[in-house]
Amino acid sequence: MGKYDIQVYTEKCTGCLRCQLACSDLTSKAFNPLLSKIQVFISNSGECTIHFTEECNQCGICVDHCFYDAMQKNEKEVDK
Amino acid sequence: MIRGGFSGSILHVDLTHRKITIEPLDAALAEKYIGGLGLTIRLAYDEIKPGTDALSPENPVVLGAGPLVGTSLPSSSRVYAVSKLPTSNTIGWCGAGGANFGYLFKNAGFDHIVIKGRADQPVYLKIIDDDVEICPAGDLWGLGVEEADAVLRKKYEDRIGVLSIGQAGENRVPFSMAFVDRISTLGRGGLGAVFGSKNLKAVMVRGTRGIKVADRKRYKSLTKSFLKTIREYPYLKEWQDLGLVKSFPMIPKEEYFGMKKRRMACVSCPIGCKDLVEIPDGEFKGLTKHTSSVINLYTPVLYGFKDYRESVKCMATIDAYGLDMFEFFGIMGFVRSLLDNGVIPRDLPGSEIALDSLHSMEEWARKISFRDGFGDVLAGGFKNIIDTFGKEAEKLSPALVKGMHPYAGPNSALPWNLFGTMELGQILDPRGPHVGSGGSPTYFARRPLAVFPKHLTRMGVPQEDIKRILPGYGSPDQQQGLEVGKLLKYSHRWFTLLGSLGICARAAINRFYNAELCAEFYETVTGIQTSLPDLRQRVDRVWTLLRIANLREGFAENDEAPPESWFNTPGFKNYLTDEPLAREDAEQMIGDYFEEWGWDRKTGTPSRSLLKELDLKEL
Ligand code: SF4
Ligand code: SF4
Ligand code: SF4
Repeated sequence: MGKYDIQVYTEKCTGCLRCQLACSDLTSKAFNPLLSKIQVFISNSGECTIHFTEECNQCGICVDHCFYDAMQKNEKEVDK
Repeated sequence: MIRGGFSGSILHVDLTHRKITIEPLDAALAEKYIGGLGLTIRLAYDEIKPGTDALSPENPVVLGAGPLVGTSLPSSSRVYAVSKLPTSNTIGWCGAGGANFGYLFKNAGFDHIVIKGRADQPVYLKIIDDDVEICPAGDLWGLGVEEADAVLRKKYEDRIGVLSIGQAGENRVPFSMAFVDRISTLGRGGLGAVFGSKNLKAVMVRGTRGIKVADRKRYKSLTKSFLKTIREYPYLKEWQDLGLVKSFPMIPKEEYFGMKKRRMACVSCPIGCKDLVEIPDGEFKGLTKHTSSVINLYTPVLYGFKDYRESVKCMATIDAYGLDMFEFFGIMGFVRSLLDNGVIPRDLPGSEIALDSLHSMEEWARKISFRDGFGDVLAGGFKNIIDTFGKEAEKLSPALVKGMHPYAGPNSALPWNLFGTMELGQILDPRGPHVGSGGSPTYFARRPLAVFPKHLTRMGVPQEDIKRILPGYGSPDQQQGLEVGKLLKYSHRWFTLLGSLGICARAAINRFYNAELCAEFYETVTGIQTSLPDLRQRVDRVWTLLRIANLREGFAENDEAPPESWFNTPGFKNYLTDEPLAREDAEQMIGDYFEEWGWDRKTGTPSRSLLKELDLKEL
C-alpha cells in the first residue's frame, strides 16, 4: 500500500519532466524518463495529461520534484 | 575515468553513402574538451576541411549534448550544433534548449552525431536506441517546422525528440534555422540551410538506456541544497509567471496573460520561460503557437505592426518556414529603403513591401522561403542584394558584421544603446553577430558596479582578474571603472563552461549556478576529477580552438571591425558614463579582449606559448 494520495493540476504543468526524472532514478538508479511510473504528456495544442502506471507505489517523490505546483500529495488514511 | 554523465558513443552518419557507424567516445578527448559545446567544437574542427563551402556535402554538422544533459540538474537541457554556417561563412556554434531532444538523444546512447554528405532524396534520421535509420522524408518535405514535428510525433507516438527545418531550410535560404522540439531555435547563421543542403529534413530520437551519475551520494546531497536555494528564491513565482517578460517590461502584461495558454519548460528546468500561446480573439482567434521567447512574437511590432495578434500570426508564419526573424526583417527594411531611395525600380519586387503589414510580410516570408521571383534575390541575404544592386545599395545598407545584421544597437531591431559585453560580442563571437547574455552582468540593463564583483565571482573570475576588469576595485578612494573588453572574455568563458556541461545560460536560471558548483557537479556526475582551475583551462582550450578554426578559415582582424554606424549619432554609449562611444574606445576593447585571452592584441592570433599551455600545439 502506498503512502500518499496524489492530486494533479494539469493546467499548471510545464512538461519539464522533473517528476519523470526523479521517479526513474528511484527505481532504475539512472535518469530514464520514459521508464518512469508517472508519464506526463502535453499535446501539440497544449492539452496535458498526467498518468500514473500500475507500478506506481504512491511514494510521492515525484511530487517533491515539481516546482510548478502541478501536483500535491496528501498522506493516505491507513486502515487500522 | 568516465563513470557517468556521458552516454559513451558517437554516431557517424554519411548521407551520401547511407552509412551509419557508431564509435565509442574517446574518453581522453572528452575530458580535455569537457563535453557538450566544447567537444562539439573539437569534433567539428577535426571534420571541417578549411575552405569548405557551407552548403556542400563535405560540410559536416556536429551535434552534441553535454555530460549533465539527461540528469535532473536544473536546466540541463542544452543541445549544440557546430558547422560552417552559410550566412557568415564562419565555423559557428548554434545552441538550443528543448523539451525532449537532448535527454532522449543521450538516452539513445549518444553524446554526439556527426552528419556528413548529401542524401539523394529528402530523408530524416530516425534514432531509437540502437536502431538508427535513414528514412525517406517524402511526406515531410515541404512542411513547416511545427507541421513536420507533428507528423513525426504522430507517427512515433509522441515520446520523441525532434530537430526539424522548415521550407526556408529546404530551399537553402542562408538565414534559415533549425528548431528543436518545435519550440527552441537552433542556428541563426543558417543551420537550416545546411540541413536543407543535405536533404535532411529532421532528426528524431527516442532512447531508454538511462543516464548514470558516478557518485550518487554526493549528487544527492549537492542537489538537495541546490534545489532548496531555487525553491526558496523569493522571485521564483514571478519568474515562472512572467518568464522573459520580466526582463522586457515593454510587453503589456495583460496582452501576454491574455494569450498565454501554457508555460512550457525545457527538460529539467524549474523556472520555465517558454510559452504556448493562443490568440484569444479577433480574426486569428484560436491560433496556437509555441515560442522560445514571447519577446520574439513582438518582433514585428518593433517594425511597425500595430496589433499584437497580427504580430503573433506573422511570427507563426516566419517560424514555420524556419526563417531567422532578425535577418528577415533587417532585409525587408533594407529593401524598403532601396525602393524609397530609387535604387530599386518601384515595380521590380512584384508586390508591395510594407514592414507594418501582415499580408505583405507573410507574402515576402513565403517568397523568400520558396525563392519565388524577387524573393530569390532577397533569399541570398544582404550580400546578394548588395552584389545585385551595387554601390548605391551598399551605401544604404544597415550595419553588417560578417554579412549579418547585428540585432542589438542603435538602428537595430533592439534599439538598445549601452555598449556592454553583448554589444561588443556582436563582433567578437567567432560565429558573427548572434549573441545572448553569456551570463554577463551588463546584459540588457545598467546595473550598479557595486554588484559586479559578486556576479563575477559567481562566474568563476579569480579576484586578481576582477581587479583588472574593474579598475579601482577594492580601494576606497578610487572610482571604479569597467573594462568591457576584458569582461567579455569572462562572459565567453562562463557561457562556454555552461554550454559544455549542458546548462542553460539564460538569466532566469544561470543566476543559481556558480563556477565552483559547476566543477563539483561535473566531477560528481562524470567521475572525472576536476577542480575549477582545471575546468577553466579546458574552457580556454575550447574557445581558443574555435578562434583557431575561424582563423584557419581566413577570418582576420578586419572582419572584426566595428560598423561605422555604431559611432554615428545616435550611436552606442559608454556603459557607465553615457558618453558617446568612439571608434578608438571600441578598438581598445577589442585589443583588451584578445590580450585577456593571451591572443595577439592586434590580430587575435593565439600565441605559441598559449597553444603549448593549452595543449593545442599539434593543431
Ligand atoms: S509516486 Fe513514486 S512511484 Fe509513483 S510516479 Fe511518483 S515517484 Fe514514481
Ligand atoms: S514536474 Fe510538475 S510541471 Fe514538471 S512535468 Fe512533472 S508535473 Fe509537470
Ligand atoms: S530558462 Fe528557459 S531556455 Fe533555459 S532551460 Fe529553462 S525553459 Fe529552457
